[in-house]
Amino acid sequence: MKLVIFEDDCFENFYPLTYPRPIFELRCGALSLAAKVERQVGQKADAYLVRDYLVETFSARAGGAKVNDLSGIAPGEEVLFVNGRLLADKDWKAPKAPGAMGCQKSVSVWRTTADVRKIRSFADILAAAPADRGKCDATCFNWMWEVMLTSVEQIGRDFAAAGRSFVESELRPDVAVFGDRKNLAIHSDVDIHPFVVLDTRHGPITIESGSEVHPFTRIEGPCYVGPKCTLLGAKVREGCSFGPVCRVGGEVEESIIHGYSNKYHDGFLGHAYVCEWVNLGALTTNSDLKNDYGSVDVHVTGKLVASGSTKVGSFIGDHVKTSIGTLLNTGSVVGTFALLMAIGKPLPKFIPPFAWYLEGAISRGFGKQSLFDTAVTAMGRRKKVWTEADLRLYEHIYALTDEERKHYIKKDRRKLLGR
Amino acid sequence: MNKAEVEQKVKEITADVLNVDVAKITPRSTFTGDLGAESIQSIQLVAAYEEGFDIEMDEDEALSVKNVGDAIEFIHKVVQAQHG
Repeated sequence: MKLVIFEDDCFENFYPLTYPRPIFELRCGALSLAAKVERQVGQKADAYLVRDYLVETFSARAGGAKVNDLSGIAPGEEVLFVNGRLLADKDWKAPKAPGAMGCQKSVSVWRTTADVRKIRSFADILAAAPADRGKCDATCFNWMWEVMLTSVEQIGRDFAAAGRSFVESELRPDVAVFGDRKNLAIHSDVDIHPFVVLDTRHGPITIESGSEVHPFTRIEGPCYVGPKCTLLGAKVREGCSFGPVCRVGGEVEESIIHGYSNKYHDGFLGHAYVCEWVNLGALTTNSDLKNDYGSVDVHVTGKLVASGSTKVGSFIGDHVKTSIGTLLNTGSVVGTFALLMAIGKPLPKFIPPFAWYLEGAISRGFGKQSLFDTAVTAMGRRKKVWTEADLRLYEHIYALTDEERKHYIKKDRRKLLGR
Repeated sequence: MNKAEVEQKVKEITADVLNVDVAKITPRSTFTGDLGAESIQSIQLVAAYEEGFDIEMDEDEALSVKNVGDAIEFIHKVVQAQHG
């Protein structure tokens, strides 16, 4: 059987997280959504279907799987299509019988032996899949905050799905394990310094190889710490998932840091999703609870949408930089490559991609080339290369978001001029 | 708008944003060296020109302009392109 994971047309509800990546690369728990599908199906994806502009950069991460190309699947061969928004929980099983599940507007799962060679997009799937679709019993995420809110429980369920606990690195006697040691998965080559607390009473803790945990860090499970992370005296509250090569200090709660991002210093990050190559300056703090304990509204494609949750922090796009002391309002959305300068009070809830927030106003600042130059430097510090493909990707995203950015820049122009 | 009108308006806007005497601004004046523009003020200048002339400028081109004369040339070109 061939496994194909696809994006449908709901990706805009996950902006800015999904500007530079397919929706199924979002982390939820210890794994990405795609990795969970692969785990539950029991095989790697043979192909992916994504937005056209993502093909070039995503192909480099696709592990040899075809991207937007099903021409190699022979007619009559069984194919399982799985929607990239689907949460393949550890109890989810792919349907064994042919047929489609989903709703009128989308397909969650489709198992078929039809000729799929010409399918290149979600629109093609929608046209080819049977209109008579059964109800899908799995969750399909509709909004970005759902991924973050679900991640907390998923960390524990991913730990359980992995099915083993172990400590492959030395745990010094002055490291306190508070709770059941069976809730630990400490991989080899993890350096845990003295006076670290691993609190497993409410959930498991996984720490991947190459990570370093500095003194006075307290980690509460459930928690997943990806490869080569550094925790710097951090107060890691329950429900955090950090992708590879993150540096985390201060207080973090029920948040996802996708990878390669820094929250080095003090400051609170709660109920947030932080993308790659983000640097949060010292004392950057987000609110994740309104003073009236009401539902948090989040900016989605130009409109405020009620999340229905009282706990929603911020959604921070790739390559965002914040100055020291930046205060992010409850349910903030910070666009890809935005640069924020603190103003001593919470910033607006929406900052468009590639905008510079200076002197309390959204502006063009020093422009995108300056932002790209910074990305080259930041990635170089982690031995990663900003490629021509990256440039093309982000130039495309810049063009995609141009009208929206211009609108906000024009609106704030007089503010920038102090009028 | 002819070039002389653009020049006069550029000088007035520049004097206002940088808080300098308009009489001291010449086409050869550099924004940072002669007129003392700090980095945030160069961004404010671009915004003020856009507002004053009702134009939109390419940010990289606009920020590469170093003196008042080049700004006059550049803005005149943009005004012609966007307003005829």
